[in-house]
Amino acid sequence: MAMHPRKDWYELTRSTNWTPSYVTEEQLFPEQMSGHMGITLDKWESYDEPYKTSYPEYVSIQREKDAGAYSVKAALERAQIYENADPGWISTLKAHYGAIAVGEYAAVTGEGRMARFSKAPGNRNMAAFGMMDELRHGQIQLFFPHEYCKKDRQFDWAWRAYQSNEWAAIAAKHFFDDIITGRDAISVAIMLTFSFETGFTNMQFLGLAADAADAGDYTFSSLISSIQTDESRHAQQGGPALQVLIANGKKEEAQKKVDIAIWRAWRLFAVLTGPTMDYYTPLEHRQQSFKEFMYEWIIGQFERALIDLGLDKPWYWDLFLKDIDELHHSYHMGVWYWRTTAWWNPAAGVTPEERDWLEEKYPGWNKRWGRCWDVITENVIEGRMELVSPETLPTICNMSQIPLVGIPGDDWEVKVFSLEHNGRLYHFGSEVDRWIFQQDPVQYQNHLNVVDRFLAGQIQPMTLEGALQYMGFQCVEEMGKDAHDFAWAEKCKPEMKKSA
Amino acid sequence: MSAFPIHAAFERDFLVQLIVVDLNDSMDQVAEKVAYHCVNRRVAPRKGVMRVRKHQSSELFPRGMTVAESGLKPTEVIDVVFED
Ligand SMILES: [Fe+2]
Ligand SMILES: [Fe+2]
Repeated sequence: MAMHPRKDWYELTRSTNWTPSYVTEEQLFPEQMSGHMGITLDKWESYDEPYKTSYPEYVSIQREKDAGAYSVKAALERAQIYENADPGWISTLKAHYGAIAVGEYAAVTGEGRMARFSKAPGNRNMAAFGMMDELRHGQIQLFFPHEYCKKDRQFDWAWRAYQSNEWAAIAAKHFFDDIITGRDAISVAIMLTFSFETGFTNMQFLGLAADAADAGDYTFSSLISSIQTDESRHAQQGGPALQVLIANGKKEEAQKKVDIAIWRAWRLFAVLTGPTMDYYTPLEHRQQSFKEFMYEWIIGQFERALIDLGLDKPWYWDLFLKDIDELHHSYHMGVWYWRTTAWWNPAAGVTPEERDWLEEKYPGWNKRWGRCWDVITENVIEGRMELVSPETLPTICNMSQIPLVGIPGDDWEVKVFSLEHNGRLYHFGSEVDRWIFQQDPVQYQNHLNVVDRFLAGQIQPMTLEGALQYMGFQCVEEMGKDAHDFAWAEKCKPEMKKSA
Repeated sequence: MSAFPIHAAFERDFLVQLIVVDLNDSMDQVAEKVAYHCVNRRVAPRKGVMRVRKHQSSELFPRGMTVAESGLKPTEVIDVVFED
């Protein structure tokens, strides 16, 4: 049977809507699940997805993508990346897989919610494909690290992290629950696809792909580039949803969702991607600094996309730009100092050459973070190892679930934003995190962060060992340690003598 | 003895930490307990008296005042700063 070209039938079939007669429109698309904001079905039919595909086309393209990624993996199995790559690179792989792989299943749920509950036919159609995309991402990012499990138990966290109570996993889950599983279909279109996938996954998947290729890890590079081709397609679902909302007088509501999602995505990225790009990836393989990636992929991209749609830059844009210079350096120091609580081995990344690079990319780094690293480095050199591990917990933000940090050293500036709500005292790492809480306290108020749980007696015994057990670590080999076993401190010895 | 959790920022350190103090601790003792988790770990030792204040406040607590007398609530945030 001859196939009709897609353009002959696509518009007609995807706009063929059910006209409900046994139930009301509201029963078919309940606001709580749909998020239509009272806009009627006929208005949502103007939703025009920029990317159109049919099921046969989708299947044949996806098959080629999978075949490509799997064949690169098979061909390079003997390259022995695990044995030959710098340990900092291996840590990047572990952090990525644990934070992302199972999280893709949350995205499956989000796409499924749009496929069922979006009032826009084009959105439902795209989301059906998006759902299959995300299944592919979950499966392939569990399969690829699996071969490493027999060599290194931390790779098992590709599967386990998301289901554990490890702090970074809680941070990722809290964020994805807030923009995906805990939201209606249109919110998912705006918060997941427009706000998160347009910019941030681009940066994670293309930025990291560039570093991977440079580090010689072509398997990982081809894998995540392959994933990104799906992302850049299904990320386009949010834009037309925003257009429908704006055209129907809901700009303010739409803007708020964008503002919340971009900020939350930023904070999670700063703790997971910031350190991998500026500290773990070996100096010679760094394509750009995290800040440069942020400006290219996020700042530039969002400024254009928001203005094109008729939205405004988020109210906190100046705070955001300041954060890009500062936040991830402190997050990195925290992850490294509390490294036993990570499922990867943080690389310190502070040899004299690396510090020069940091100072060049972030002027003032030495008199800020460098001051703390001086103390740490000297302790390592002098063998005072009891001082390079923590004996208490960091205070954790009740929104981002990440420690509360600021600028150390000469420009010391640490600011907490607190809020008393229903008799409970909450602490936030920024004015924006507190603002997000205040927009919808019911969404957030009952969640306990790791420190809250500790103080509530949910973590027993109330020791660091008890906390590690609570986080899901099964043995000492799984707990993070310095990626280079402190070998970097040797390179700092001459510098230390000079300054002494 | 009555354990009392607070969150503390220490001058020149990069973060805020959970510190368990005692209701009967004086502010000097509180400062010491916070310093234990910062000084010589990430902050170089220095001269000067360590003083406690409510987070971002311009007023310092008297050095001999106890936690119980200070009116601090559990899990409130304090700063430890140097008086040169
Ligand atoms: Fe995905
Ligand atoms: Fe996606």
